[in-house]
Amino acid sequence: MEAMESMERRDAIDCVPGYGEKRRDGGDGGDGGRRLKLAVDWKSPAVDRRVKEFSAMGYDSMTNVSIPTAASKAKEIGKKKRVNRTAKLKQSKLDVRREQWLSQVKNKGCKEEINGANGVKMHSPDVHERNDDRPLMKLEINPVGEETEGITNHYSDSDSPSNSPISHTSSVFGSNRSRSPFTSSSSSSSGGCCSGSMAEEDDGDNGCLDDWEAIADALAADDLKNDNHESPEPPQLNSLPPPEPEPVNVTMVGQDGCCARAWRPDDIFRPQSLPNLLKQNSFPMNSNQLYGFGAIEFGFKKVTSPPSTCPICCEDLDLTDTSFLPCPCGYRLCLFCHKRILEDDGRCPGCRKEYDHHGQGNASLKLGRSCSMIPRH
Amino acid sequence: MATMNNQDSNNNNNNRQVTAGPPMNASKQPLPTPKTVDTQSVLKRLQTELMALMMSGDSGISAFPEEDNIFCWKGTISGSKDTVFEGTEYKLSLSFPNDYPFKPPKVKFETGCFHPNVDVFGNICLDILQDKWSSAYDVRTILISIQSLLGEPNTSSPLNTQAAALWGNQEEYRKMVEKLYKPVA
Repeated sequence: MEAMESMERRDAIDCVPGYGEKRRDGGDGGDGGRRLKLAVDWKSPAVDRRVKEFSAMGYDSMTNVSIPTAASKAKEIGKKKRVNRTAKLKQSKLDVRREQWLSQVKNKGCKEEINGANGVKMHSPDVHERNDDRPLMKLEINPVGEETEGITNHYSDSDSPSNSPISHTSSVFGSNRSRSPFTSSSSSSSGGCCSGSMAEEDDGDNGCLDDWEAIADALAADDLKNDNHESPEPPQLNSLPPPEPEPVNVTMVGQDGCCARAWRPDDIFRPQSLPNLLKQNSFPMNSNQLYGFGAIEFGFKKVTSPPSTCPICCEDLDLTDTSFLPCPCGYRLCLFCHKRILEDDGRCPGCRKEYDHHGQGNASLKLGRSCSMIPRH
Repeated sequence: MATMNNQDSNNNNNNRQVTAGPPMNASKQPLPTPKTVDTQSVLKRLQTELMALMMSGDSGISAFPEEDNIFCWKGTISGSKDTVFEGTEYKLSLSFPNDYPFKPPKVKFETGCFHPNVDVFGNICLDILQDKWSSAYDVRTILISIQSLLGEPNTSSPLNTQAAALWGNQEEYRKMVEKLYKPVA
């Protein structure tokens, strides 16, 4: 039974595109071990707030908890952010959040794992219920370089139980797997992908890295190096100042494992919130995607932010509706009313042009009209 | 509650005055469900419009549902200043179809109005109430449009040819307006 479930869990990890292969390659000894450790590292942030309880509870409870947390987090974010963004962009933000976790709670996670590894047999029965939100937390600097190093060794053992069946850590890990009923491919996968670079950070730099942007870059760089496993530490990581969490970044992030990798400078969907050069590029990019009719419509759209209710039926607009822009004139309405109109005369209520016919003509005239016709509530 | 009953029955006989009573409603209970849902959204829209209209504080226009039927409203328009209709006030009736706002309401003058685009029955010839209707319009914009129509008639396609002919002579027109004006008590 235990074996089966642990296998299942492993499958979940392996099924991540691009990751499974690598992992199998490095299944022996150090490199593979480092990856796995990082997978755990990533999860540990999920338990950030409860570090104290959890250090008492043990390592397995910690890993268990990460999965439901991840799921609920993503949902929550989805609800909160009623922004006019495409789903892709949102996804990107979620990914960024994961990166932030990586950088912020890395040390915490290590410490916790250490504690957990010692209290192997303990596990809390209620961990699955811990899916609530975590407040931002001051990171502690983990001054114990030796321990971190030790951890790495732990997990290199545990990574491939077949290689080191006698290792106590591996048995711990196995039992942990068997206890967790969730095999969430997303959470395990995302952890896995980030693994390499995190290990390197541990090796070289013990302090928490507040500059997660730098880490993300480092991650990107490390991803490339993952194959040769040599992984010299990126120089800027060493020189980073002591940790100081960035509240702004944390509040807006989400967790998701869909595309589990750091932002590369050339990523198209890199979130605008990321403070970097890509900002300038991604913004017009989006505007073109959404509106594609030049600056006038776009400007107009910015002026009249999407209404909270449909002007036609007066029902609340949901997330899909607010990102729905059926007509270049900028007139917004809910999907139901839009469908209803398409069945009828198919003309935009704001400009009276047919929806199919996205003529460019006198946009500025239409602007005034649609402005005045939107009922103010 | 009486209002609600009437809305239900209004599903069946649209735009007609309904004498809703408990027995009648009982007989009309088995209404098709989708229709009810549809009507609910119209209700919400009309209620929202009513709120917006009452909050807007536009001068010279007002409207309110009839006692027992939110699908039938009575509105009033005051003639704008510096027009031949200054000082007069006109009552209108607005009856909303079940597919409002995708279809325009039927708007009529209840008070006789001597106007090139209003016939003797009170029917109004106004594009936004016909082919130029948009679901983005509401009661408020309709009333404002009619109010401005009073002062700026389209004499090229008149319903009232006598009024259209007289429009060129504003003094005479004003006298005619005053002569024919019979405010509803």
